[in-house]
Amino acid sequence: MTTQRASTAKYKTELRRAIRRNAAEPEINFLNITAMLDIMTIILVFLLKTLGESSAAVPQNDDLRLPKSVIKSAPAEEGTVVTVSKTQLLVGDNKVLNLPGRESLAQTGVGAQEKRSGPTDLYIVKLGNALQAARKTDRVVRQAKGLDPSSSEAIIIADGTTPYRLLIEVLFTLGQSEFGKYHLMVMQGKEIPQ
Amino acid sequence: MESESTNELSAGQRAKVRRLSVPKELTPDEEGGELNIVPFLDIITNILIFVLATVAVTFTAAIDSSPPASGGKGVRKDIESTALNLTILIVNDGFSMKASGGNIAPGCTGPGAGIAIPKRSGKYDFASLNACAAKLKSASPDFADETQFYVTGNPSTDYQTIVSVIDALRTDMRDPSRTLFTDVNFKVTL
Repeated sequence: MTTQRASTAKYKTELRRAIRRNAAEPEINFLNITAMLDIMTIILVFLLKTLGESSAAVPQNDDLRLPKSVIKSAPAEEGTVVTVSKTQLLVGDNKVLNLPGRESLAQTGVGAQEKRSGPTDLYIVKLGNALQAARKTDRVVRQAKGLDPSSSEAIIIADGTTPYRLLIEVLFTLGQSEFGKYHLMVMQGKEIPQ
Repeated sequence: MESESTNELSAGQRAKVRRLSVPKELTPDEEGGELNIVPFLDIITNILIFVLATVAVTFTAAIDSSPPASGGKGVRKDIESTALNLTILIVNDGFSMKASGGNIAPGCTGPGAGIAIPKRSGKYDFASLNACAAKLKSASPDFADETQFYVTGNPSTDYQTIVSVIDALRTDMRDPSRTLFTDVNFKVTL
């Protein structure tokens, strides 16, 4: 019995042709967004980092709600941050003292026991101590940066309901601790009440 | 069994060509050596977008000032004798205003005793305060370059009211391009 077969060369040619024919074209059946996601991830991490480090990022909650203002000037970035919430007084991230109720604050400020010489004094001793430590560091930083080291700057982040008495006590203590310029932080976006 | 060479493939050869020409499915361990981080990036992106959306981003600004001095002496700055030296006292009944010429009379009509801008319907009248500041600034050409003013208040006056007073004295409401008093100083009258 005789079988008819093509030559090996012919067989190989046909095989190569079939392989070429069947080879699937590289299909693009979805949008490749991997590169874009890489870039977005890096940008978002960078954004979150800068947002977190900026003093302009003030978390708003019931304990601390900044007053609203029409002022559009850029917030100050340099300076020791003093935060006055409804319940606490902080220098940087460190709590200096707990504040009494608003009624008491409006009458005698933080209270006679926290003052240098009685209820009428404006100097808050614990705040002064914390500010002097901050001033010591800031003086070195200012010298290194080539800025005038004779006085420091402070960023005041205070709640909108803070009584004037407490505000003045904080500002006075800052003045006594060689802080010569204050940046009072406010929230943009409010028309002057008519 | 003999085989004869021809140009046509035999059935067996055709079957073998079909079998061998089918593209191979790669097993996962043969598919290149890169770590597939696409699902990870998907999750990260979703989390970050969620975080950004929930973070309360506030647009802040700063009011610059210098330290107050105890005993109602004001700040340690040289004030010319011809200056207006405007002082706003925030009291329970409204705004009392003082200038070099003395106390401002009610209604901002001139020197005289009383509260210059009384409360209207129980609320502080910032529009009248602005109008009065603009009027006082126009009173003399000597005051044109003066931008400093003083603020003081009752111990219980809240910070928002003080900021609103600072805002009200900043620019003329009727002519926003006209700057009035932009440099605030705090006085202590406790």
